[in-house]
Amino acid sequence: MFPLLVVLSVLVLWAGLRLEEAEEMLTEFALLAVMVPTMVDMGGNLGAMLSSRLSTRFHLGTTSLDPRDRVLWANVTAILALAATIFTALAVGTFLLGQVIGAAIGLGELLVIALVSGMSVAIIAVGFSFATTYVSYRLGIDPDDTTIPIVTNVVDVFGMVIFLSTAAVVLDV
Amino acid sequence: MGVRSDFWEIYRESLPVLLVALSGGLFAGLVLEGLGESVAEYPGLLVMVPVFLATRGNVYGALGGRIASGLHQGLIDPRFRRDERLFNAVLASFVNGIGISILIGVITWTALAILPGWTPASLVVLVAIMFVAGTLTAVVMIVGLLALIFAGFRLGYDPDNLVGPIVTTLGDIFGMLFLLFSVWLVGVIL
Repeated sequence: MFPLLVVLSVLVLWAGLRLEEAEEMLTEFALLAVMVPTMVDMGGNLGAMLSSRLSTRFHLGTTSLDPRDRVLWANVTAILALAATIFTALAVGTFLLGQVIGAAIGLGELLVIALVSGMSVAIIAVGFSFATTYVSYRLGIDPDDTTIPIVTNVVDVFGMVIFLSTAAVVLDV
Repeated sequence: MGVRSDFWEIYRESLPVLLVALSGGLFAGLVLEGLGESVAEYPGLLVMVPVFLATRGNVYGALGGRIASGLHQGLIDPRFRRDERLFNAVLASFVNGIGISILIGVITWTALAILPGWTPASLVVLVAIMFVAGTLTAVVMIVGLLALIFAGFRLGYDPDNLVGPIVTTLGDIFGMLFLLFSVWLVGVIL
């Protein structure tokens, strides 16, 4: 357990470095900081959900990653729809909090930032979940033990980096 | 079953959980925003935030998973009492949680000291912030996670479905609150 934790921490450190680099942007647009924890977590949450569903289906022998498998498609579209819902809610929630604490970014800009980065992360989460579940299944490792934390952390890093770059482009920093 | 009904089933099952995680995330975000001024004072603090939040999920997610399996198998009773199996799982995550927090401080400081163009705050400060925040979070996470899983299990919920959202939400909220507190405490003492 502990060695894996150390490796994952070093991986996520990269996200932290990018965050510290973006300090000026976060000071200028304080409201962005409100979005940071969700952007760090949500991609990983979606990836973990899909991975555990996929690994259960692998264990039960009910899937072989056949693109004609309709339940796979239901899973993938559900994850993307959930991402669209949650990241829209994130933008609206952040906008409302911004009204309260008096740090305003336009709702339109928040929606673009949240949805562009959120949906990119969701797609990466889907891709990573499939890849790691498949590889760990082939290698005979139980996906429940190791791959889910790996998917979560890798996707978290992407979430942070994509979010900061999108915000920089949208806000023209 | 058609794709459409599968789709709606997954969507409906998962949305409430994700919305709870979202509220936790937004609250944590507000705290992070409140951390604003200390960020300039302690270079490296922001670097540690994503790692600190991510390890909460790793450590206590594993604890939750173990407790959930134990409850399913009937090896653990859903109540707080002296039980070797429960005690060992709790002790392991307590040690992991605090150990990894200290290590985050060390790794962050080392990375910033090595990488060109960065000057970290002192090693003692970064490690002290992580140690205090990590210890307080460990206590609240373990007690809160066990209490909520036990209560949910007795009410008939599958603990496997509870662990993820509980860990993310509690971890975000208390992780950030205790980080804020710990930054204040270290500022006063050191």
